[in-house]
Formats: sequence, C-alpha cells, structure tokens
Amino acid sequence: MKPALRRAVLLGPATLWIGLFLVLPLTLMAYVSTLERGPSGGVLWDRHSADAYLQFLFERDLMDRLVLNTDYLHIFARSILLAGVTTLLTLAVGFPTALWMAFQSERLRLVLVFVVTVPFWTNILVRNYAWMLILRTGGTLDWLLTALHLPGPPLEILYTPWATGIGLTYSFLPYMILPIFVSLEKIDRRLIEAAYDLGADRWRVLARVILPLTAPGLAGGAILVFIPGLGAFISPELLGGAKSMMIGGLIQQQFGQSRNWPFGAALAFVLLAMVLLALWAHALRYRRERADE
Amino acid sequence: MSGPFAIDCRGLVKTFAGGSVRALDGVSLSIRENEFFTLLGPSGCGKTTLLRLIAGFEQQDAGEIDLHGERLDHLPPYKRPVNTVFQSYAVFPHLTVAENVAFGLEMKRLPRADIAARVMAMLTLVKLDGLGSRRPTQLSGGQQQRVALARALATAPKVLLLDEPLSALDLKLRTDMQIELKRLQSEVGITFVFVTHDQHEALTMSDRIAVMNHGRVLQIGTPEDVYERPTSRFVADFIGETNLLAAEPAGPGLFRLAGGDILQAEPAAASAIAVTLGIRPERAELCASAEGILRGRVEHISYMGTDTTYHLRLTDSGLFRVRTQNRDGALVRVRLGDAVGVRFPPAAVRLLDE
Repeated sequence: MKPALRRAVLLGPATLWIGLFLVLPLTLMAYVSTLERGPSGGVLWDRHSADAYLQFLFERDLMDRLVLNTDYLHIFARSILLAGVTTLLTLAVGFPTALWMAFQSERLRLVLVFVVTVPFWTNILVRNYAWMLILRTGGTLDWLLTALHLPGPPLEILYTPWATGIGLTYSFLPYMILPIFVSLEKIDRRLIEAAYDLGADRWRVLARVILPLTAPGLAGGAILVFIPGLGAFISPELLGGAKSMMIGGLIQQQFGQSRNWPFGAALAFVLLAMVLLALWAHALRYRRERADE
Repeated sequence: MSGPFAIDCRGLVKTFAGGSVRALDGVSLSIRENEFFTLLGPSGCGKTTLLRLIAGFEQQDAGEIDLHGERLDHLPPYKRPVNTVFQSYAVFPHLTVAENVAFGLEMKRLPRADIAARVMAMLTLVKLDGLGSRRPTQLSGGQQQRVALARALATAPKVLLLDEPLSALDLKLRTDMQIELKRLQSEVGITFVFVTHDQHEALTMSDRIAVMNHGRVLQIGTPEDVYERPTSRFVADFIGETNLLAAEPAGPGLFRLAGGDILQAEPAAASAIAVTLGIRPERAELCASAEGILRGRVEHISYMGTDTTYHLRLTDSGLFRVRTQNRDGALVRVRLGDAVGVRFPPAAVRLLDE
C-alpha cells in the first residue's frame, strides 16, 4: 500500500467520526444560531438575523428599542460560580481521597478505583432523584438530624443553590479523584523518602513535593469538573429548582418550552467560546512554563 | 579507636511479610567517625534494609541504633542528622539543580543568603558549577548522581548513607565516581556508609567492609582483612575467586583432602570432623607434576590480558584454578591437556567456617 493511501485508510475512521459527530453538528448549530426563529419552533432556513446573539444581552422594549437585560448574564455568572464552587469542593474531598488511595497496597488500590467508578453504573437521573429524597424537608438527612437531637428548624436545602452544589459535587467527584490518583500513583516513592530524609515533615513533603508533582492531575481534574459543571442541567433542574437555573437548563429550555432554537444555539456557542478561551489561556500558561524549563 | 562510634547498631532484627522474611537477623556493628564503611553482600542479604533502618524509612523489630552515643532509632527520618543518596538518584524533577541542593537547607529555615552561598559551594564541590538553573531531566545520569550527592551533603549531615549509588552508571563513569566519592569523603570529613553488591567497588573504596549474607554480618574488616583472611566459606567465595576444597583434620595444622593429599593450613586449630579449605588462585603457582602439592591436568585456559587463569582437573579432588600474571608477555609454557603440579605456601591455605 502506498504511504499516502495507507495514511488515508488509517486516519479515515477517526476523521469520519469527528466530521460526523463534531464538525457537522457544530456547523449546523452555528448556522442555526444566525437564523430567525420559526413562529412555532424550528427556524426559518432562509432568513438570517443576529437577534439570537443580541437577545443574550439586550431585550426590545415597547418602543422596539434595545435595552440592556442582565438576566442571562446572571444565569451565566451563577453557572460559573456553581461550577467553580463544585470544582473547589470536589478538589477538597477528592485530593485527600486520592492521596489515601494512592498509598494503599496494589490490590486494595485496584478495588478502590473500582469502588470510585461504581456510581457510573447507575443512571445519573436516578442518582439525583435519590439526592432529592435525602435532602428534602422530612427526608433522610432531616430525619437523621432530628434523630441526633440536633436543634434547628426543619431542613430546607432542596430547591436552593446549596442542593445544586451538593448534587454537582457528588456527580463530578470521580472525575476529580481519578486523574489526581493517576498523578499520585506515578510519583516515585523515593522522592518522598528523599524529602523526609532532607528534613521535611509530612506537611512540607505534601506542599513541596507531592502537590507540585500532582499538578497535572489537579489541572486535569479541575478541567474535567469545571467544564461539564458549567453545562450541567440535571442536578440544577432536579435539586436547584427554577430559582437557580444554570446555563444547561436555559439552553434546554430554548429548545423545549420556549421554542427559540436560534437563541438556544447562540447560548451554546457563547458557552463554547468561553470554555475554549479558558482552555487556550491554560494552554498558553502551560507552554510558557514548559518554555522556562 | 576511643570515644563513641558514629553509628552503633546492636542486635538489629527486621522482618517483612508478617515475620516470614527475616531481612536482618541480629545485626550488630560499629562504624567509626569519618570512616568509609561498606556493607557488601548479594541482593537480599539485608544491606539495604540496614541502611533504611539507619535513615529511618523502616523501623526495626528489635535492637538499637546509636548516633554518636545517642539513641537514633526513635526519631522520624526528618529529624535524623543523616542523609541518603539513593540508587535511583531521586532528584526532584520539578525543581532546578540549585533548588534541589537547597531543599534540605530550606527545610532547616536558614537565611536565603546563606542558602545561596552554600548551594554555590556544593555545586563547586561536585563540579557542577554553572548548571544550577538546569532541570535534572536535562542532565546525564552521572550529573544527576552529583546533584543527589550535593543535595545530601549540603546540610552537613553527621553520616551519609549511599545505597548502591553507582550501580546505574556505566563502567567508565563508575570508576571515575569511585575516585570522586573518596575525594569528597576526605574533603568533607563525613562518615560514609556505602551499600554495594560489587566487591571491586567495596575493595577499592572502603576503610572497612562488613560482608553480609542472609541478614547476618559474617565478617568485618579492612579490604585486606576480608580478602586475604576470610573466615567463612561465603566471604572467601563472594569476594574474589577461591578454590574450595573439602578436607578432614589429620593432625595439628594438617588436613587430608578427599584424594588423600595432606595440606598444611592456617589457622591451625580445627575440631570439626569435616572442614573447607580456601586457596586464592593467585596465591598458587604451576610447577612440574613431581614438585606439586596437588596434581592435575589443564582443562581450560582463560587469557585475560593482565593475567591468565588455568583451570585444572585435579587427580581426585575436582577443579582448581591457578592465576598467573602475564609479566613476561604471552609466553606460553603450559598447554591444554598438560599434566602439571600446583604448589602454594601454607599461609595461602585458609580454614573456613561453613
């Protein structure tokens, strides 16, 4: 086989896959976001308009003038905040967990990795419904607090951003633990012994050797939690209630009840642009650090 | 030697795998101040375990370790004034060379200016001047080894522990580093405890050697002691080559070999029924069959440049090796299949413990 043909055959499946399931839908979405909405859902394929993007920041008043509308910005800001808090919480829970896991015997490590992935075996909807039962007033947690004779009014966590935060943290925790665990497992144990040997106590070994060497895992985990967290919509929808809508819910609404496809597509693209910008900035920093070496 | 020892180990026992593996089985030894002390033995003999007990990475099951007369073994590793150079270097990959060397000094919270000066001095000591801002990944194995050395020496530990530090280097570099390590030790005046399985390394570098096997110390002595006067079959066989001959006592200082030949040996005292005699190949020489203490036929000749080893099949007692220096060039007097005799002075015959 000629090298060129060989290359084409080998690259073919991947190219086809990416073209069909990434490039094509994205192009379609980009196109839809520049169209006028149809009167009862769908789009008018031959009428172009920038309305979808304008609608993100402005609304038309009675006189048909554009007025600044920050409702959607608020939803974006809330999403970023919640995804950020989720990232920090999963980090706070995930790092010690991964650290503990990484220092177990090899057999136990395999079991623990398996245990961490067990939640994936159950549908995410079901798991979020379970959290509804736990968090609702009179639910499991409420009952437990009463049983422990802890004072205070009945629990009112469900349908608040708190519940969303708990749900997101729970859902994304494995995505944080696994990359950190992989990084920790790769650290040469002699490096830790060398640090002890040179006079570093536990905390300074952690701060000066383990954390810096785990940086790629921490960054990976943060990206894996923050980005899907931004677009998450099951947890906010089920646990957060209508008052704490996030981007994912908003986009879903445009294609559903609101029947505003162009706006939904535009929102998705604004989100995508933000994520790409963030990743680009991260890559730039990483490259600069590498260049320093 | 008076005064407290640098390191004093008494009755150290260490087991692994729930007691089923005895890595150290009652080890006692004393290491003098400023001594280049080597723990020599095959892999699994317990030498690295002993080093890790001194460093504090493992805790002994029984026994005590003193450092300069004070108990050391209840301190965590970061409080022991003892530093380690690891076999795999264990240089921090996320830090520069200078930051690596500064690590221990920073842990001691020394002033920045002092640290910088000390780092410079250390890099000069190990001949890495000007490489302080490099990353370890940009250095060769030998250079990384020097970084590890500088890092371990920077805090001026009382004792430096070296765990087979040269085994990952190629032969030429290893020979250079052997000389380098000796120079360093005399310059910094620190007690070195060196672990190796390489007998040549041990013989060339050490002030004293402890030969270990199966978690026990078999013999401690100067390189000359352990080579010329091995006390046990294992030491004689592990360090250098030895012809081992089974024998039984046949009077004061006399031993009868299986073939009936009688040998004189030192030390003379032996009460056992069966003994092992050891004779170094280079202490024996070939002669005419009639003049030999032992007789045999040349079965194989290995020419090794500086010397030649003749492998003989003795008339009755198995194999015997004789090594001669090739002082007069490749002048061949003995050929394959020749019947020859072997002779050696009584002092060359060592009586060995099992």
